[in-house]
Amino acid sequence: MNARRDVVKEEVERQGRRKIFQYSFAVVFVLASGFLFWQLRILLLPILVGSLLAYLFRPIKDQFKIAWLPHELQVLASFAVIALLLFATVATVRSHIPNERQKLELKVRLKYKLNEKLQEIVKPKEGRPNVILSMVAKEASPLVDRINRWLDLSQEEVELFMKYRVGLEGEPKIEERYFEFFQVNQSTDLKAAMEREALQREAEAKAQAGGLDSQATRAAAKAEAAASDQKMDHMEVWILAPILFFFLGFDNGQIRRYIIGLVPNRYFELSLTVMDQLDDAIGKYLRGTLIESALVGLTLILGMILLGIPMSVAVAIGVISGLINAIPFLGTFIGMMIALGYALIAENIVPLIPGLNPSDLALYVVLLVALAHVLDNIIFQPFVLGSAVNLHPLVVVLAIISGSLLMGLWGMLFAIPTVVVLKTATETLFRELRDYRII
Amino acid sequence: MVEGNAIVKLTIGELSFSDSRPIEIASGGLMAGRRWRAEKILWETLKRWKRSSIELERIEFLKTVPFFNDLSQWQLKSVGEIIFERTYEVNESVFEEGQPGAALFLIQSGQVSVEVHRDGVTTQLALLGAGAFFGEMALLDESPRSACARAVERTKTLALYRNDLNRLILSDPETACQIYRALARIVGDRLRTTNDLVQRREQEAPPPTGIAA
Repeated sequence: MNARRDVVKEEVERQGRRKIFQYSFAVVFVLASGFLFWQLRILLLPILVGSLLAYLFRPIKDQFKIAWLPHELQVLASFAVIALLLFATVATVRSHIPNERQKLELKVRLKYKLNEKLQEIVKPKEGRPNVILSMVAKEASPLVDRINRWLDLSQEEVELFMKYRVGLEGEPKIEERYFEFFQVNQSTDLKAAMEREALQREAEAKAQAGGLDSQATRAAAKAEAAASDQKMDHMEVWILAPILFFFLGFDNGQIRRYIIGLVPNRYFELSLTVMDQLDDAIGKYLRGTLIESALVGLTLILGMILLGIPMSVAVAIGVISGLINAIPFLGTFIGMMIALGYALIAENIVPLIPGLNPSDLALYVVLLVALAHVLDNIIFQPFVLGSAVNLHPLVVVLAIISGSLLMGLWGMLFAIPTVVVLKTATETLFRELRDYRII
Repeated sequence: MVEGNAIVKLTIGELSFSDSRPIEIASGGLMAGRRWRAEKILWETLKRWKRSSIELERIEFLKTVPFFNDLSQWQLKSVGEIIFERTYEVNESVFEEGQPGAALFLIQSGQVSVEVHRDGVTTQLALLGAGAFFGEMALLDESPRSACARAVERTKTLALYRNDLNRLILSDPETACQIYRALARIVGDRLRTTNDLVQRREQEAPPPTGIAA
C-alpha cells in the first residue's frame, strides 16, 4: 500500500516537473522567436512570397499525382510546367521593359504628349472658351504639375539624352522628332520652373518667420530615408523565395503531418478539420483571385488588340494590369494609368473596330478599363470567388491603407489576402471549437 | 476474427445488446490474385533501400486489418503515407460522444473501451484490442460520434482522416475504391446482423399492442 502511494506521489511530482519544464521552455521559445522575428523581419516578405507561390501552384502539382509515378518525379514534372509558364510570362513582359535610351525617349514622349493633349483640351474651340473644361484643367493643374515634375529629366539625364541623340553604345539614334519634343519640353520646364521659384520664394519668406527648426526636421527625414534605403538593399534575401518554393514543392504532406503530430490528442480531430477547412477556403480564395486577375488581364488584352494597340504591348500591359488588379479599387486605377500612359504616346494606331477615331484612343482605353472593371465585378468575381469571402468595402479600404502604410506596395497587395486568411481562420476555429465542445 | 465481435457491439451502440456471432469480413475476392511475385521481389528490394523500420512495421500492421486486407504492398504504402500515428495514455479519451467524427482509428497495440454515459451510468459497449478498429462511420460523414472511446491502457492507434481518403480518390482511385468497398461491406454486414437481431427479438417477444396503463 505504501509502495503504491509512493508511486502515485512520484507520478504527481513528475507531472509538476513536466509542467514547469514545459512552461519555461514555452516562455524562452516565445521570447527568442519574437526577438528573431523582429530582427529578421526583412526575411518575412521573401518567405511569404515563396510559400504563397508554392501554395498557389499546388493544384498544378496535384495534376501530376499518379499512383505509379514516384513523388519526386511528379514534383519535377510540375516544376517543368511552372518554369515554362513563368519563362513565357517573364519573356513577354521583359521584352517590353524599356532600356535606358527607351526610358528617356518614353519620358520625353509622354511629357510632350501630355502637355499637348492638355493644351488641346483647354484651348478655346471655335472661338468659344469651354468653361467646364478650363475649370477642370485649373483644378487638375497641381496634379499635372506633379506628373510633369516626375517626368522631368535631371541634368545627367539631359546629358545622356544628348549623347543618345548622336548614338551611344551601339543603340540606335534617338529620332529627330523626339528631339523636337525634348526641346518643347525644356521650354515648358523653364516656364514651370520660373513659376515654381516665385512660389517658393514667397513660401520661404513666410517660413522664415516660422522658425529654424525645419532644418533639423529635414536632417532627421534624410537620416530616416537613408536607413530605409539600407533596409531595402538586402536584395540577396530574395534568394529565399525560390528556395522555399522549391522545398515546399517537394513536400508531400510531411509538414502537415509534423504539425498535426505536435497537437495534443484532445485536439487531434479538431486540428485536422480546421486545417482542412482553412486550406479549402483560403486556397479557393487565393487561386480564385489569381484566375480573376487572369480574366481581367485577358479582357484588357483583347480590348486593346481591338483598339489597334500592337499585340505585344497589349499583352505586356494586360499582364501587369491584371496582376495589379488583385489590389481592390486601387489596382484598377493603377492599371488604367499604365494603359492611359501608353495611349497618350501611341502613334499610328489603326483600330480594328471601324468607326473609331484613333486620336481619341485615350478615351477608349479609359472606357475599356472601366468595362473590364464592370465585367470583373459583375461576372468574374461572383463566378470565381462566389460569396465565399465577404468583406465589407470599408474593411477593404482600411486594410489596403493600413497595408500600404506598413509595407508599401507589397502591403497593399497582401492586405486583403491577410485579412481574408485571418477572418476565415478565426471563424473556422471558433465554429469547430464549439462543435467539438471544447469551448 | 475476434474483433468482429466487438465491432458489432460498438456500432449498434445504444441498443447495447451483445451478439456473439462474429462477422466474417470477406477478404480475398477480386484483388487477391494480383500479388505477383515480381512485385514482392521489388518490394523486398525497396524495403532494404528506403523504408524505415517504423514505416515498415506500420505497413505490416495495416495488412492485418480487415479494412486493408485486399490492398497490395504498393497500395498499403500510399495508405501509410496518409495515416497518422497517435498514442493515448491510460484513461485518455480518444473521442467523446457527440463530437463530430473526422477519423477512423485502428488499434496497433493496447486496449480501447467503447462506452456510453447515460444519466451518470457508464455502460461499456465493447473492449477493443490490437487489430480492431472503431469510429469508421466518420469516413462517411461528419455525423456525431455515437459513443465515447477511452484508452484502457497505453494504446497506439493509427488514424485515417476522412478528407485524406477523399483526396486519395483523385490520386489513387483504385486504392480508395477498395477501402470504400471494405467499408461498405462492413456496414452492410452490420445491417444484416441488426436485421437478424430485430427479427429474433420480434419472434421472442412480439411488441405490445396498445398502451400499458
